[in-house]
Amino acid sequence: MLEITSTPLVLIAILGTVGIILPIISVVRKEKGSNSFYAVIAFAALIASMAYVGYEFLNNNVASSALFSEDVLVNDAFGGFFAIAMLIVALFTTVGSFNYMRKQNSPAVYYSLILLATIGMVLVAYSTDLVMLFVAWELMSIPTYILVGFMKKNPTSNEAALKYFLFGALSSAIIVYGISISYGLTGSTNIGEVIEGYSTLDPSLLPLGLLSVGLFIAGFGFKMGLVPFHQWLPDTYEGAPSPVTALLAAATKKAGFAASIRIIILGMVVLNLDWTLALGIIAVMTMTVGNVAAIMQKNLSRMLAYSSIAHAGYILIGLAVAPHSSLGLQGSLYQIFNHAVMKGAAFIAIAGIVTTLAVTHIDKLAGLGRKMPITALGMIISLFALAGVPPLSGFWSKLMLFGSALDASSALWWAPWLAIAGVLNSALSLAYYGWITRKMYFEGETEKRVKEPKSIVAVMIFSIIFLVGFGVYPEPLIQFVEFATPALSVGTMP
Amino acid sequence: MTNELVDFTLVSVALLGIGIYGLAVKRNFIRMLFAVEIIINAANLNLVAFGRFLPHSGGQTLALFSIAIAAAEVAVGLSLIIVAYRMYQNVDIADFRSLKG
Repeated sequence: MLEITSTPLVLIAILGTVGIILPIISVVRKEKGSNSFYAVIAFAALIASMAYVGYEFLNNNVASSALFSEDVLVNDAFGGFFAIAMLIVALFTTVGSFNYMRKQNSPAVYYSLILLATIGMVLVAYSTDLVMLFVAWELMSIPTYILVGFMKKNPTSNEAALKYFLFGALSSAIIVYGISISYGLTGSTNIGEVIEGYSTLDPSLLPLGLLSVGLFIAGFGFKMGLVPFHQWLPDTYEGAPSPVTALLAAATKKAGFAASIRIIILGMVVLNLDWTLALGIIAVMTMTVGNVAAIMQKNLSRMLAYSSIAHAGYILIGLAVAPHSSLGLQGSLYQIFNHAVMKGAAFIAIAGIVTTLAVTHIDKLAGLGRKMPITALGMIISLFALAGVPPLSGFWSKLMLFGSALDASSALWWAPWLAIAGVLNSALSLAYYGWITRKMYFEGETEKRVKEPKSIVAVMIFSIIFLVGFGVYPEPLIQFVEFATPALSVGTMP
Repeated sequence: MTNELVDFTLVSVALLGIGIYGLAVKRNFIRMLFAVEIIINAANLNLVAFGRFLPHSGGQTLALFSIAIAAAEVAVGLSLIIVAYRMYQNVDIADFRSLKG
């Protein structure tokens, strides 16, 4: 049994209570338009949860990554790692919405939905049972459908929500189907028992086992934006309110990776491995399609949406080589954490630009470096960190990922090609990041400085400190990643 | 009509096929929503059928959860459609194309 003070339960208590109370308060107060009041409450709840996760880590109450447990949830470092990443993004979204959502109705519902979605994401990372995983997955997805379509009068927001909803509902249907097959094969929904059942599977049933892993890849792949399943992603990221896009790109995507590490990677290790090539091919396709399409975009949100597809490809490199290199999962986790901060900051910067100047077209960004210096600087730092320019934090995670691909080359002949594709793609991505930089700093007349929203500035300063600080001195973050990475050996089997 | 496991799974696979066909061919949003629901119900049928032949009730439990969650999901989907219908007077997704590129 989990103790009542274990991290996931306390997080449910804090965020759930506040998430449910917020709309009640708004009904009782009968007052409209006090956006910042609810935002502050949601912010405090998120900070409290973050403090609790940090406190548990510092007191060494967190088990090292277990991956399996007899319960439905496990209080391990892997879940804690994802919880911190997702809480950071949820904080970004809450703070970034301060100004962005000021003119919208029903702010209480908006922040309450953010909190509920956050519980879902955190629980996905903690769950060790397929039923729990599915419920948490839906708790994450359903609030985000509403959040994407939150600007009711705006046709693009609604259209984005419809597309997102259709693909999201399909992805959860596929996941249930995958769960049903794996339940039929192994007679259990506990992930540990499912994996154990797979390792002793009758060879004649092997195709069904592979089918269920394939269904899991497809289902989670929709949320992660892997290439055959990515069509909804640019539309949704462009149409959704920018702070919500930050939540989608930086957090729900990571929940997909957490779930797939818990299930697919372990399932692959047991079912033996012809899947690594498939994942490798998906990884290369994902990064190439993402980067090539991003170059052609004129809209900043859409360009970053494609770049976020490309980043799913980089992260997938680590998962593909995970059975053969201990660095693989570490690199993936490192990149996941960095990507959460970088992409979150980039989309919050867009939110700031949209609130003050109401533009997202790249040609209209000329001279932004003088108009909004801090926002522009935060944007540029996160873009260069995304491209993996040293000495920013993104460089070390990419180094570790590509290093893991080289490390696995003794077992997989094609693994070095993953590294080569990754490096080429990073170079390609520098092209469009550089283009944005040129627009912002080297074009345009001498515009006057405009007032930047304080909340956006706060997010920018935090992410600049994070990206530069952990870029110059990456040691603590790397240790944290090493602590959170589950050991992928047969010894961890239950 | 026998009462074997394979009968249930065959029905479930047939439902899955119908659902995928519906998603691929139809362009009316409500029909596509139905298609997704059919896929979810195919999975539920699988779960219940497997649960019947196993000594514990895990499958039925998950099926109940899945039905409840699918209901919540449909509620959200229909509310999105209502908003869209007020804007476009239409629920054909071929008409929703302000986002592209």
